[in-house]
Amino acid sequence: MPKSPRPRARFSFSPAVRALFLAAATCGAVLPALAAIEHEEVDKLMQAGKLDEAMTKADAFLKDKPRDPQMRFLKGVIQLDTGKRAEAISAFTQLTQDAPELPEPYNNLAVIYASQNQFDKARSALESAIRTNPSYATAQENLGDVYARLASQAYSKALQLDQNNTAVQPKLAVIRTLFTPTPVGGKPTAVVASAAPAPAPAPVAKAPAPAPAPAAPPPAKVAAAPAPVAAAPKAPEATPAPAPAPAPAASTASNAEVESAVRAWASAWAGQDMERYLAAYGPDFAPAGGQSRKSWEEDRRARIVGKSSISVNIENLAIKVDGQTATAKFRQIYRADNLNVTSRKTLDMQRSGNHWQIRKESVGG
Amino acid sequence: MADIVRHGRLQNPPFRLRSGQLLAALTTASALMLVAPGAALASNNTKTGSSAKAKAAMGSHAGSRSAKAQPKSRKGAVAAETRTAGATTARPARKPASNAAPIQEAGNAEARLIAVYEMFGRGQARPALAKARDLVRDYPNFQLAQLVYGDLLAAQVPPSNALPDTASIAKMRGNPAMAELHEESKRRLQALRERPPANTVPSQFLALSTRSRYAIAVDASRSRLYLFENSDKGLKLTADYYISVGKSGTDKTTEGDARTPLGVYYITSSLDPKSLKDFYGAGALPINYPNPYDLRRGKTGGGIWLHGTPPQQFARAPLASDGCVVMANPDLKQLLRKVQIGATPVVTARSLQWISQPQAEKESQSITGAINGWKDARANGNEAQLKKFYLPDFQRSSKKSTEGISAVDEEVKYAQGKRVQLKDMSYLHWRDGDDTMIVTFGEVFEGEKSGRSRRQYWLRQGTDWKLFHEEILG
Repeated sequence: MPKSPRPRARFSFSPAVRALFLAAATCGAVLPALAAIEHEEVDKLMQAGKLDEAMTKADAFLKDKPRDPQMRFLKGVIQLDTGKRAEAISAFTQLTQDAPELPEPYNNLAVIYASQNQFDKARSALESAIRTNPSYATAQENLGDVYARLASQAYSKALQLDQNNTAVQPKLAVIRTLFTPTPVGGKPTAVVASAAPAPAPAPVAKAPAPAPAPAAPPPAKVAAAPAPVAAAPKAPEATPAPAPAPAPAASTASNAEVESAVRAWASAWAGQDMERYLAAYGPDFAPAGGQSRKSWEEDRRARIVGKSSISVNIENLAIKVDGQTATAKFRQIYRADNLNVTSRKTLDMQRSGNHWQIRKESVGG
Repeated sequence: MADIVRHGRLQNPPFRLRSGQLLAALTTASALMLVAPGAALASNNTKTGSSAKAKAAMGSHAGSRSAKAQPKSRKGAVAAETRTAGATTARPARKPASNAAPIQEAGNAEARLIAVYEMFGRGQARPALAKARDLVRDYPNFQLAQLVYGDLLAAQVPPSNALPDTASIAKMRGNPAMAELHEESKRRLQALRERPPANTVPSQFLALSTRSRYAIAVDASRSRLYLFENSDKGLKLTADYYISVGKSGTDKTTEGDARTPLGVYYITSSLDPKSLKDFYGAGALPINYPNPYDLRRGKTGGGIWLHGTPPQQFARAPLASDGCVVMANPDLKQLLRKVQIGATPVVTARSLQWISQPQAEKESQSITGAINGWKDARANGNEAQLKKFYLPDFQRSSKKSTEGISAVDEEVKYAQGKRVQLKDMSYLHWRDGDDTMIVTFGEVFEGEKSGRSRRQYWLRQGTDWKLFHEEILG
């Protein structure tokens, strides 16, 4: 990996982000300052389900910058979403060749292979993703699912059972974007990560929660108990955390309400209390990736209930209240069984009566 | 025999799991639970025999080999002499020193499975998984390998995984058919850990003429078939293979009892696999059950073969057949190249006992004495003396014709007082309730170049051996 040849004064990346960034750079892609905006637009269109428009935009962008990994990745996701599996496979495969350091394309290849019943290929792709980035939680969880399926298949063969009898297909989580650095202090957007101290991992359609943070600095303090620890006031060193200005006195009460809602959410999650956990999300909560609320809830249930233990700790909580809405940004330290993932999390909150509910959950910010 | 197979937990579980549940489940439900570090592949599975040599072996049946000098009346020494004669007599060149022991290729799948066990036992779960994956890719119908692969995969699934597959894994682990695979696993490992002592042979093989280039012994308790190469240096274990026997076990007595017979038999033919149903796999080697001893005891049934496996199964459960001995097709193919029709003995035992060569020679002394006594009485024309060697219900059968020569006087006339040489002696001992000996030899009368081959069935009564059946082989 070459030493950073492209200092960008306004940005300060964690080493991991830089590594990924350079990975992209070394494969010949240049990320112009404006690229992030185009990516964001395509991503928004995708989230809105306007896949044709998203594709048109992506194609237009790629005409100029055919090697741009983020847009190629987004295009692959659009192809995946529109059922163009062969194209998606080719897009992601090409990306794994041009930028083998990126785990996301491997992960999405695995998703497609798994949907085609090619679980051994899915396994192989996920193992590559994890080799690239061992703490990539989505790939880890997907790999667990694939191992379970392969084990189930092997047992069926051992017993010479009809393999069509086996359980429903595991549905692997698609990663929807590569990291996208945007300037510090930029407007917090739902999906696109800003230059957060921890590299913002891609939001995951299926499982919004345990978003991975590649090579994140170890959390300052980790409680073994599932209850969230008090927010550590100390920002991780050398990282420009978007330290918010002290809240005006007037909104202190609201801030406290929001903080209490966020901590209740984390505590319900850690306590595997699905009722309270799901109740933390408001009626207009929109799961990422256009997933239905029902299937999102099922996914969350499957992900949470089965864990033997979960802890969710919140650090560097910054709350911004604006009337009936609020934004809570924090560092989320998620541990479940053998997963240990630190990531930036943004919760868009909406006041409902005298309590606050989550309207949008996004990684990064 | 001490059961050294370890059933307990693994000492060094290679998986860091927060919840011990999975490992507990794995070690109680998994085929891997049997793995103890150092599951010795001391199995020294040796293989000799190029195909050219095997062909030579097949062709040698006609008996073109020069007759060997046979000591005449030195009591008790015949077997020993037969065995060692080659040391002093010029014999057709044999394969040079077969003490080198290459891994048998037919046992490849099993050897690879054992390597997976060993890696797992050493805590190398990931390499074990990769090896298991290769193995099931090459042998997709090797059910035990699939089970081990499944176990290794399941060990990688986080214990929290609550997906439907996790449930189906748990369900399949509870499937009764798993027990058969675990038993297969146990027996394969046991057979590879507990090797026959060096320089020993199954106790049935007191002496084997080098006319029989190979010998087969089945140990049902271990689900194992041992293949020996026979030379003037004696029997040498060259390979052993996992086998299945009857659903109801061994000791066949009646037709349809789904048991594998116990006794000393010979391969009687080799059936063309093209003429067989797929079910029998690569071929079939019928044995002569019921043999004269079985018939004498009223045993019924038939059609006992050594045969292969159907296309969808690499191997079958330890107790699976209707009485046949079933081998994996690659293993059977090895055997097919070697066996000699009518001359390759097949011992099927509940549990083989292994004895040293001197012990075998010692145990053959009494029958050697009886044979020499019988021969001398016949040569002397002493009917009264000769008669003592026959049980009243003695029967004789001939492969060539059924000329009913059954009486002692026929035997005397036949011998006409000529001196006779017995050669190529084989003594196969079978002891259950009774003590029996199956003796095969060639006889050459003075002045002649060749003679008959006989197979005699002797039964011990008190201290005396008596003939109850004889086959003239030609």
